[in-house]
Amino acid sequence: MNMKDFIKDLDFSRKSSTVVFLIAILVLIGAFIWWLNIPFIEDIFTNGTIMLIMVLGFQLFMGNSGILNWSYVGYVGIGAFASAIFSMTPALKALQIPTMYPFLISLHLPFPLALIAGALVAMIVAALVAWPLMRLSDSVGAITQFALLIVINVLLSQWSQVTNGPRTFTLGGTRLTSFWLVLGVAVLVIILVYCYKESSLGLKLRATRDDRYAARSSGINFVAVRYVAYVASAGIGGLAGGLYSHYILSITAASFYLNELFLLLSMLVIGGSMSVSGAFFGTLLVTLLRQGLRQVELFLYKTGFEASGSAEIVVAIILIAFLIWRPNGITGGRELTWQSIKRMLPIASEKKDPISNNLKKEEKA
Amino acid sequence: MKSKSTFTVKALCKSFSGLKAVDDVSLRLETGEILGLIGPNGSGKTTLINIMTGMLPKDSGQVTIDEHDISEMPAYKVPSYGLVRTYQTIRLFKNLSCLENAVIGAIGVGIKRREATRLAAELLEELGLGYKMDLPAQGLTFRDQRLLEIARALAAKPKFLLLDEPAAGLNEEETDELLALLKPMPENKNVGIIIVDHDMRLIMSLCNRLHVLNYGKTIAEGLPEDVRKNPEVVKAYLGSAAS
Ligand SMILES: Nc1ncnc2c1ncn2[C@@H]1O[C@H](COP(=O)(O)OP(=O)(O)OP(=O)(O)O)[C@@H](O)[C@H]1O
Ligand SMILES: [Mg+2]
Repeated sequence: MNMKDFIKDLDFSRKSSTVVFLIAILVLIGAFIWWLNIPFIEDIFTNGTIMLIMVLGFQLFMGNSGILNWSYVGYVGIGAFASAIFSMTPALKALQIPTMYPFLISLHLPFPLALIAGALVAMIVAALVAWPLMRLSDSVGAITQFALLIVINVLLSQWSQVTNGPRTFTLGGTRLTSFWLVLGVAVLVIILVYCYKESSLGLKLRATRDDRYAARSSGINFVAVRYVAYVASAGIGGLAGGLYSHYILSITAASFYLNELFLLLSMLVIGGSMSVSGAFFGTLLVTLLRQGLRQVELFLYKTGFEASGSAEIVVAIILIAFLIWRPNGITGGRELTWQSIKRMLPIASEKKDPISNNLKKEEKA
Repeated sequence: MKSKSTFTVKALCKSFSGLKAVDDVSLRLETGEILGLIGPNGSGKTTLINIMTGMLPKDSGQVTIDEHDISEMPAYKVPSYGLVRTYQTIRLFKNLSCLENAVIGAIGVGIKRREATRLAAELLEELGLGYKMDLPAQGLTFRDQRLLEIARALAAKPKFLLLDEPAAGLNEEETDELLALLKPMPENKNVGIIIVDHDMRLIMSLCNRLHVLNYGKTIAEGLPEDVRKNPEVVKAYLGSAAS
């Protein structure tokens, strides 16, 4: 499918409001924080926005296919390491990671290209391993994805000639990932993930999520449809990983494992995995919550209590509560649209909403 | 001008670990006709539909649309050759809106999105689901779910439509609505329909021909009046229906 058809595919007149709202909220928060000019808060925002990109990429496959994609955080790790290897100068690499293969040491790309190259490496790895896995659904699918995550993690943590093995991989140099770069990428990724979801390809994947058999007998090759999304999702994860490593400046394989995955999962599930708005608000909510809890922890620490780890426990309990009582998250799997906002406002006029009016008539009858 | 197509099934067989669920069944259908596929519970009607649409592999036999043999194809390619189905146990995309459900039927056979949306909206209007277009499928009444499945199938612009017990679970009034909806369909949409149902009133007033299965075997076929009088059918079918 070419790009022109892809764009034409979108039923924009109805639904473009979601993208506009999400971007507006993100940019407004960003601009306000920039104006505040408090480094500590800028740091929280940049980190949170990198998380947002990760969660959006996670949503692209998991939310639309319904397959619990454990391996995702592995691709974030691959992107993080690969982009760092591309962006660091040979001299710096020889200094920081003397064990590295000479041909890797000699690679060097400018930072923006290195980010893209990191994402491409993640996509290539995904493209090579994913095809046979895409047949598998439900718990079998989740278990194989989990096994794949372990494979990726062992490679990242043991392959000394590439990732510096279990030792910390220090990027050195200056922090290349900036506040505005992260914000810009996040805006693009919101558009991309949303357009994908509403496109024919995304719609087909959502159909396979709801009923694989009916999707098949409606002409959908679910293996192919899943494959495309899986590789794209790995690409966004890899891109986010690159932004992350060039922000944090020192990484280990352990940064891309179960803790990180659990955090992404809570954000997506609490927000509502079936919608882009869910990914957005889940990230926002959990980020605020964790920062708040961290302040509480700090305060307790000062008064003599040791309460570290309480943020994780609280997030976990909230996740469990959501899974029990509201499995589709705060958004209920729906998108934030103009209509949904109007419905929430008490002034909403009855006449303008033929659908709910008709329903009301039917209820009365 | 309307193009004529022919759907043929030749000597189709399928066993499940020794049980012959479909045993040497052959049938033939042209666009514009309605064929009733009937038989007691467990006689192999659903299994036959599953094999014809590629959802289950056959043991032997042939299924063709015009000159294309579709029985070796993966199930997802079958709709593009003009054959779609509905399910006895309704299978909708429950988190998608009614419109999206119907759109899937069209894009599944390669119709472009804009055209698919137009077609789907038109079909939903036609089936009386127009004002529910934006609602998720999971909240629909039983009747609406049945209709939405038919809309999704029609959105693929099929030459042949297989309906597996579309009236199951509907009350008498709703069944009459369905009858009124299906009756002109072969003519209007230039489609051939195979309908499976236990509601003999619906079958008798709808079908041009009947095909009767019992224990996977064809026991009678032909005009409804003749089949009805066939002693073997009376024995197999009415025997079980009366019980
Ligand atoms: N996947 C399967 N595995 C094993 N046996 C099966 C399978 N599907 C169907 N059968 C058996 O094949 C026989 C035919 O079943 P089928 O569902 O085709 O009957 P049917 O005519 O559609 O019945 P009903 O009117 O109740 O829908 C039954 O004995 C059933 O138990
Ligand atoms: Mg059946």
